[in-house]
Amino acid sequence: MGTFDYIWMGVLAVFQGPELFSVFGYSVSITLAMILFGFLTGIMVGATPGLTGPVAMAIALPILISVFGYTTAALLPVMGFLIGVMKGATVGGAVPAILFNTPGTPDAYLTTLDGHPMTKNGQAKKALRIAHFSSVSGDTFSDIVLFVCAPFLAILVEAYLDLPEKTALLILSLSFIAAVIGGSPAKGLISTGLGLLAVYIGTGEDFYPRLSLGTEQLSRGFPITTAVLGVLIIGAVFKGMEELWQNKRESGEFNTIEDSGDQRLSFHEIKRLFPYIARSSVIGTAIGALPGIGSTLAATLGYTVGRRRYQKTKSEDSLDFGQGVPEGIASTEAANSSVSGANLIPVLSLGIPGNAAAVFLILAAESIGGFNPGPAVFKFTQDEVNPELVIAFGLFCAMFIANLLNWTIGGLFMRSMGVMIKIPKHVLLPVVLLLTLTAIYVQETRMEALLFALGFGVLGYFMRVLEISPLPFVIAFILGERLEQSARQAFAATGNDPFFLFTNPIAAIFMIMALGIIFYTSRRQGQGI
Amino acid sequence: MSWDINPVRNNINGDLILGLCCLIFATLVLFVWIPLDVESGVIEKVRRRLEIGDSLAPSVAALFVFVGGFILITQKREASDQRVLLSGNYKYLSILITVLAISLILMRYAGPLTIALVNLTQNESLEYRLLRDTVAWKYIGFFLGGSLMVSGMISQIEGKLSWRSLSIAVLAVIAMILIFDVPFEDLLLPPNGDV
Repeated sequence: MGTFDYIWMGVLAVFQGPELFSVFGYSVSITLAMILFGFLTGIMVGATPGLTGPVAMAIALPILISVFGYTTAALLPVMGFLIGVMKGATVGGAVPAILFNTPGTPDAYLTTLDGHPMTKNGQAKKALRIAHFSSVSGDTFSDIVLFVCAPFLAILVEAYLDLPEKTALLILSLSFIAAVIGGSPAKGLISTGLGLLAVYIGTGEDFYPRLSLGTEQLSRGFPITTAVLGVLIIGAVFKGMEELWQNKRESGEFNTIEDSGDQRLSFHEIKRLFPYIARSSVIGTAIGALPGIGSTLAATLGYTVGRRRYQKTKSEDSLDFGQGVPEGIASTEAANSSVSGANLIPVLSLGIPGNAAAVFLILAAESIGGFNPGPAVFKFTQDEVNPELVIAFGLFCAMFIANLLNWTIGGLFMRSMGVMIKIPKHVLLPVVLLLTLTAIYVQETRMEALLFALGFGVLGYFMRVLEISPLPFVIAFILGERLEQSARQAFAATGNDPFFLFTNPIAAIFMIMALGIIFYTSRRQGQGI
Repeated sequence: MSWDINPVRNNINGDLILGLCCLIFATLVLFVWIPLDVESGVIEKVRRRLEIGDSLAPSVAALFVFVGGFILITQKREASDQRVLLSGNYKYLSILITVLAISLILMRYAGPLTIALVNLTQNESLEYRLLRDTVAWKYIGFFLGGSLMVSGMISQIEGKLSWRSLSIAVLAVIAMILIFDVPFEDLLLPPNGDV
C-alpha cells in the first residue's frame, strides 16, 4: 500500500460509501449528502445571531449517532456533517455582521467595521460577495496546508518522540493554551487546572474512585458531554441571556433591524483584493496551526496588517479602513476563515484540539470509536490497510468537497440568509438551552447528567463574567486522562525515574518551553505590554 | 431598578479576590480533599515496584490553579479592568436557577404524578415505568417541564409573563419531540431514562 493508494481509498470511502439515492444511474453516497446538509446548516447557523457552529455540532451529534450507530461506517457521514457545519458557519457568520451590524462572534466584529458601512452605502450584496470570496479563499489555502503538513508532522512525532517526550508535549500544549487563550496566562492556568481537576474526579486506577466524596453520582466521573457542552454552550447561553436581560432593563427594548442594498463584485476588484486575501490567509493559517489560538487574534492581525498596506497604497480621496472599504472585509474574513483548516493540524497530527469545532470532531470520534485522532493515525502500513488512515484521507476529501460547495453554491445560499436575523435572540437562547439539555440526556439518559451540565454551565458563566476563557478548561478535560496515562507509562518505561521529564533532552526542552511561556507571558502582562 | 452586571470597577481589586479564592481552593484540594478522598499517594510501591499513584494527577491540577492564583495576586494587581461578580449577576443567576430547578422537578415528576392521579381517580393500577415508552404518557414530563423552562427564561428576559412566550415554548418543545423522539426508537426523552 503506497501513499497514493491510501489517498484514493479515502476518496472512494467518501464517494462509494452507502448509497442514499441515485441520479441518472450515478449513486450519491450518504457521506456526500451529509457534507452538503452540514454545510447548509452551518451557513444558516452562522447567519443566526446567538448561534455558532459548535452549538449546532453539539445538538446534532447525538441525533447523528442515533441515525448512523456506533460503527466505523458512521465516522465519515457524521464527521462529514460536522466539517460541513464548521465550514458553513465560518462564512455564514459574516451575514449578520455585514447586514445588521450584529457580530455573532468576536472576530466577526472586525467584519462589521467595513461591512456594515458598505451596507449603509447601499452595497450590502457586494460586501457579502467580498466576505464570501475572501473567506473561501482563506479556507481553501488553510486546508491545503493542513493536507500537506498534518501527515508529515504526525510522522515526525511518531519517529522522534517516545513516551516521556509525548508526556512533555502534552504539558507544553496545555501550558501554551493556558498562556495564550484569553490574554491572561494566570486565568488560563486556572481554567486548565479546573478542567484537569474535573476530569480526574471519579477516575483513576484505585478500587475507590478518587475525589468522589463517597457518592455514587461522582464515582462514575463527569461524562465528557456534560463538561464540554456545559462550559462551552450552556455557559455561553447563560451569559448571552444575561446581556439581553440587562439591555431590556436599561433600554426597555431589543435592538432593531436595518435594511440593505445591492451591487456586484467585478474581476478587477477581485484582483485588487487578492494581495489582502493572500496575506491574511498566511497569517490565519500560521496562527491556526498553533493549538488554542483562535480566529479572533488572526482576524485582528489580518485587519491590522491589511490596514497598514492600505494606508501606504490608497489615494488621498479614498475612504479609510472602518469607513466601508472592501479591503477591510477581505483582510478580516480571509484571516479568520483560514484558521479553521489549520486548527485541525494539531488535532489530526497530535490529537490535541485547538478550538471548539475541533473539540466536537474529537468528541464524535470518541463517541463512535474506530478513529483516534493523533500521530498513530498516519501509519502508512504496507502489508495491511490502516483503516484510520483511510478515514483521515476521507476527512480531507470531505473538507475538499465542502470547499467546492462553498465556492459554488455557498455565496448564493449565504446571501439569502439575511432573514435569519429576524429570529429574536431572547427567544432563541432559551430554546438552544433546552435543545442542548435534551441532546445531553438522549446520550446519557440520566437526570444527574443534566444537573452536571447545568453546574458546568454556571461555571462557564462565572468564567465568562470574570473573563476566564473556558476553552483551556475544555481542552484540559479532554486531554487530562491521556496526560495521566502517558505519564504512568513513561514512568514505568524509564525504570521508575521520577525525573523522566527532564532527563530526556527533547522532553526537557519541551518542559523548559512550557515553563518559559507561562513565565514570559505573565511577565509581559505584569509589565502591561 | 437597574442592576449592574458590567463588572469593570477600578476601585474593586477583582484579580486579588479571584487569586485569593484560587489559592484557598487549591490549598484545600491539595491538603484536605486529596489526602482524605484518594486511596493511593503520589508515588506508590506496588509489588516492590514504584508506580504513579492516583493522587499525582489531581495534585498537578491543583498546582495549576494555585500557580494561576499566585500570578494573579502578584502580577496583575495594578490592572484597571479587573472583573468581579456584582449584585446584578447574582440576581440574574438566582432567578435563572429557580426557573431551571422548578422546570426540572416538573419534568422529572409530572409523568409519575399524573399516573398516580389517574390511579387515584379511576381506580387503576398503572405504572409510569411501564408506560414510559408509550405515546402521550412519555411526553408529559418533557412537555410540561420543557415548556415551563423555555417560557420561564423568555419571561425572565422580557420582564413579563405572556401567552406569546408560552406558545413559543410549546411549539419549540413539540419541535424537539419531533426531532429527538418521533424518528428514533432507541432515544429516550427526559426523564424517561430515570423512572
